[in-house]
Amino acid sequence: MKNLCVSASGLALLLGLATVPSFAEERTAWRLFVSDHAAAVVHAIDMESGQMLETFNVKVPTSLYRSDSGRTVFAVQGKGDVISVLSSGISFGDHGDHGDIHVEAPKLLDVTFEGKKPSHFVDHGGDIALFFDGEGKARMTREADILEGKPAIREVATSAPHHGVAVAMGEFALTTVPNFEKPDELPVGIRVTDRSGATVGDVHSCPDLHGEAASGNLLAIACAKGVLVIKQEGGKPSIEMLPYDQALPEGKSTTLVGGRGLQYFLGNYGPNAVLLIDPRSEEAFRLIDLPTRRVHFTVDPVRAKFAYVFTEDGQLHRIDVVAGKIDASLKLTDPYSMDGHWSDPRPRIAVAGSRIVVSDPLKGALHVVDAESFKQGTDIALEGKPFNLVAVGGSGETH
Amino acid sequence: MLRTIGFASLMSVITLSPFAATSASAEALKVVASFSIIGDFAQNVGGDRIELTTLVGPDGDAHVYEPSPADAVKMSKADVVLVNGLQFEGFLQRLVEASATKAAVVELTKGVEPIKMKEEHEHAAGGDHHHHGDLDPHAFQSIANAKIYVKNIADAFCTADAAGCDSYKANASAYTAKLDATEAEVKAAVASIPREKRTIITSHDAFGYLEAAYGVTVLAPEGISTEAEASAADVAALISQVRGDKASAIFVENITNPRLIEQISAETGVKVGGTLYSDALSKADGPAATYIDMMKANIATIKGAILGS
Repeated sequence: MKNLCVSASGLALLLGLATVPSFAEERTAWRLFVSDHAAAVVHAIDMESGQMLETFNVKVPTSLYRSDSGRTVFAVQGKGDVISVLSSGISFGDHGDHGDIHVEAPKLLDVTFEGKKPSHFVDHGGDIALFFDGEGKARMTREADILEGKPAIREVATSAPHHGVAVAMGEFALTTVPNFEKPDELPVGIRVTDRSGATVGDVHSCPDLHGEAASGNLLAIACAKGVLVIKQEGGKPSIEMLPYDQALPEGKSTTLVGGRGLQYFLGNYGPNAVLLIDPRSEEAFRLIDLPTRRVHFTVDPVRAKFAYVFTEDGQLHRIDVVAGKIDASLKLTDPYSMDGHWSDPRPRIAVAGSRIVVSDPLKGALHVVDAESFKQGTDIALEGKPFNLVAVGGSGETH
Repeated sequence: MLRTIGFASLMSVITLSPFAATSASAEALKVVASFSIIGDFAQNVGGDRIELTTLVGPDGDAHVYEPSPADAVKMSKADVVLVNGLQFEGFLQRLVEASATKAAVVELTKGVEPIKMKEEHEHAAGGDHHHHGDLDPHAFQSIANAKIYVKNIADAFCTADAAGCDSYKANASAYTAKLDATEAEVKAAVASIPREKRTIITSHDAFGYLEAAYGVTVLAPEGISTEAEASAADVAALISQVRGDKASAIFVENITNPRLIEQISAETGVKVGGTLYSDALSKADGPAATYIDMMKANIATIKGAILGS
């Protein structure tokens, strides 16, 4: 198990950067951002060396989300009424036939978004939408403006505070419609508004709305009886309900992640399964049973064929999304029971290039699995209770 | 960049790999075509001996297509996979990897003399949108090249299904004769347009081979791929060209958002001359449901707009 030394490794990285040669060469850089379940910190770890780069202080223990580009990481602090933003320090320039990678030190940006009970973060092509449950409002801005330190904010209000979500989609905004009768319950639909705030078309019914993800040019939002599938046609959002297959057992998805490289969605469905959603296929829903209750799941953004699920028996399962079945399983931790509070400290998964990383909050460790061989590598020890993870990085040329 | 490099290495593997398909004397040869134009070629060559699946269907844009797990399943069951090559199908490498297909992946532009994308886009776009001598993948916009595609398909089918080879060759020969006739029609149509009127504008750079083969100059605000956004400078340059009466007509494409072209039309007062079919056929009830219909429809639309303007 590696132990982390902040200052020495950070210095080593900076020295390494200072000696990057001027001619083009291939470089791979992956960074892991890790929050703690109990402490108000975000760690930045260099996954190539396993070394800690920096620990950033935030207001309260936080959830983490990365932008699509990987240039920013959002620390959504629901109990602190604030969202902080970090620059990952890794960015890419597209040069048509090749891409350049730019690597610099990660930093906490001088940009925060304040508001009551921030919850969902959604990035749609660089348009960021941040929803604040306690206000029933979304704040929308662009990642590029955030990085420049002066985000222009567009506020989109719904009719009441509720646990909602918003998506910025070009000239339009999608926002949840709260349940008027029971405002504490989940939203009941999606409203499309234009820049003036005027509603475009009818409200799209989606009782028990919870769970949103993008995959390629499709966006999916989970509802009680199916999934709203959204795409842009002629610059406008086009929304269709894909009802759950009648052959599925009683249930619904409330969390979705979107495939990268292959276009599909992976959702929870009951405690012991995940649901593969392939909206363009005749067989749009495939249920994959798990040996025990599910703790967390994510997709592999590099190896498009695979997704990963962690179950309460301490196993990481590799899902073959083409075959629609568990392809391999690996015991990583002691059991983590799903009994107890939903937000108790339990493992989370992130994929950092050739490595799958699983947090083990009760052991103070990050378990690293080689993504090709699916064999466990060297753990990374981390003080406290490492919890949420996001990874950013990739390969490119340096000049 | 990663995608590009990976694709190149994938293609070298493909070129070296022997065909793995088994003889299909009893069962139809399972063929996956990457997009609708290749699907049409394959059906014409394969006839009823093949079971064809086309991934990117009518009016679909292969540049930005997102393959699904179901596509990977189709590819995993294929005997032959037919693709354009020249980096036309950005999704190909990940789909081949995800499917773990054992099929031969046949690049149909093999034997085509590739042309480079237009220089103006290498420089006019500026910033991060520049390219470095990319090859234009839309080789099928020349009917002479289409005949190379057809020959490559017949060869691939013969290798995978020797028992059907005579049939494939006969079908390819009959279809090639139709292509010859179509090419003669296209050349005659172009000849009827005054030389100084043969400059038009479309959405993206898909017609370089048409230009090279038939002498119609085609300008476009977007680059080779529809993924690349046109820069303000590109659009301004095209508006200037239209105003200078250097372009006779402007067209939308079936696979791209017409917004840019409509903007140019609004600013110049030049009416949109119709829809050109660039990277995909139309739906069955449209004017370009087959490759031959597509080529005829495009040249008729171009000729009609120019001579009617």
